[in-house]
Amino acid sequence: MKQCNTEIDGEFLVVKLAGEVDMSWSQEVRAAVLAALKKSNKVAVHLAAVTYIDSSGIAALVEGFQNARGRGQTFFLLETSSAVQAVLKLARLDKVFALRDRLVG
Amino acid sequence: MTEPVATSARPSASLPADFLPILAEVSQQLAVSVDLERTLRDSVAFITDYMRAEAAAVFLLEADGSTLQCRACVGPVDILGLRIPADAGIVGRAVSQNSCQMVRDARIDPDFAAKVDANTGFITRSVLCAPLTTAQGAIGAIEIINKLDGGLFDEVDRDALRLLAAPTALALNIARMAGELLEQGRIQRELTMARRLQRSLLPKRRRGNFPLRALNMPAQEISGDFYDFFDMPDGRIAFTLGDVAGKGLDAAFLMVRCASLLRWAGKEGLPPGCWMARANDELCEAIPPGMFVCAVAGYYDPALRTAVWANAGFPPLLRIAKDGQVERMPAEGPPLGILAGMHFPEQNCDVAGAALYMFSDGVTDVRDASGKTLDLEGVEMALTEYADRSPEARLRRLVRRLRELRVTDDITVMLIEGGCAGPRQWLDHQFPARPEALSEMRRRLGEVLLACGASLEQRQALVLALDEGASNVIRHAYGGPCDSIIQLGVWQDGDELRFELHDSAPCIDPGRVRPRDLSECRPGGLGVNIIDATMDSWSMQPEVGGGNRLIMRKRLRAVGLASESNAAIE
Repeated sequence: MKQCNTEIDGEFLVVKLAGEVDMSWSQEVRAAVLAALKKSNKVAVHLAAVTYIDSSGIAALVEGFQNARGRGQTFFLLETSSAVQAVLKLARLDKVFALRDRLVG
Repeated sequence: MTEPVATSARPSASLPADFLPILAEVSQQLAVSVDLERTLRDSVAFITDYMRAEAAAVFLLEADGSTLQCRACVGPVDILGLRIPADAGIVGRAVSQNSCQMVRDARIDPDFAAKVDANTGFITRSVLCAPLTTAQGAIGAIEIINKLDGGLFDEVDRDALRLLAAPTALALNIARMAGELLEQGRIQRELTMARRLQRSLLPKRRRGNFPLRALNMPAQEISGDFYDFFDMPDGRIAFTLGDVAGKGLDAAFLMVRCASLLRWAGKEGLPPGCWMARANDELCEAIPPGMFVCAVAGYYDPALRTAVWANAGFPPLLRIAKDGQVERMPAEGPPLGILAGMHFPEQNCDVAGAALYMFSDGVTDVRDASGKTLDLEGVEMALTEYADRSPEARLRRLVRRLRELRVTDDITVMLIEGGCAGPRQWLDHQFPARPEALSEMRRRLGEVLLACGASLEQRQALVLALDEGASNVIRHAYGGPCDSIIQLGVWQDGDELRFELHDSAPCIDPGRVRPRDLSECRPGGLGVNIIDATMDSWSMQPEVGGGNRLIMRKRLRAVGLASESNAAIE
């Protein structure tokens, strides 16, 4: 069920996540996000198929966000699922991240 | 002159030597026939030829028994499809008397239907007619007209035709029975599909701690009863039961409509009185005359262990306490579908330490050998007797008891189990301090929270908080994944849940476990904040001799539930 693939979409590298993102593999997610930011200046993390995310998963996204900001790269969260939104809200990060429904426009 | 001949009479004259091969040929043709109309036509032609007759026809009784129809004919005039009254003419006489008729001169026979001749110009001189006889009597007749040589039919002809009629009757009878069987099979298949559709509307049985159990046993193929239950987002469980007046297909259709209507209206979370009133108004707009629905609809709150409902002409609800005390709560509203704008009072009871039973009148109407009904008293006695068994076993016992008696109506029973009064433990789950074990822990906890009556938002937040707690134990208390054990306990007292995470790691200084300042955006360290935001209170207690206990409390039905669940971490 868990899934973490990086795909090219136009100018963007999109890290697609699916399943329950928890401590058991959030390090993989962190590595994938940081690797994408090394390869491209425009990175999005696609979260529509994420059914659960814990604070370690959120931490991976925060680290990506901070890295991108430090280097002036574009970084946003794409199609956040309700499970992800609830945790972002709880951690007051919903106003910090750039959340988008579409890659462009 | 007419000479009726009894069908049981033995052939009175010896048949010609070539007759047996002819009989064998006709029998064979009819026996292997797949297209009966065609075989019948061929046989009739064959018989006409053999009997050296001018014309012949086979008439069969129609389903209503009052008309004979020509199903095969040969000769100068085509009368295929011709209908005559079942008691008219020489054919009618052969059928009604179930005996051979031989008419030497048709023009002076009183039963001869001269009308046909008048219309067609055909002149009937002499007629021989044999009934097609089955165990159920004659189903028609075979008639041959006029010898080609102008002579008269004799006894040999009569016996020959009677013998040829026998395999014809047999083949027709088999074809008719096969047709009926096919039709029965078709109706049976459609009923099975209707039943399958009906059953698919019933909610799936939920195992484990789910407080609600129900069953439906149709008296016939399809049911006029229904039950339904579904989760409300606020953690309550909505339930409906209904009994449509009547048991036929019309009742089954109305049942499907009413069940959908109640589900649709129930999803809005209206108070039971309004819910029922809305369904009633909607149903009254279109309902067959004379039909109505008895129903109950309400909510069970697993957190408070209370039920609230409205009862529209449905049998009384029974609350049976663990100590055997029985309370009857009769309907306070009229059945649905009779009059729009009716009022349905709200009724309620506390289900803690008790069970709440709802059942259609099919349960009270089962009869013993003497025809006496079980009645409410009988049901109460049976359920009281089974009070200390598990809910499953109670329902099983009740069904067994009902099946010993004569069931005449659809039977539907729903039971809401409030469990023992006072606090109870919902979960005692042990798992190794490894991240891979967290997914199963979350799944188990999620199930329990649903059964406790936590709302969707509460379930999400509480699962996250406990997952964060366990993650912190793995990371900080044990210093990383290992095979040591973490124990999760969940207790409920009233609407308050208490969670305990217990480990055997070296004691942690509780002073060090603090939520961090969220205004600084940095990865990690959010777990304690999530626990702090979700729980009403929590504490970290080092245990004497090693180990830590994280105790968290949460009330599910605290005032200001909605605003609280939207709150962010402070």
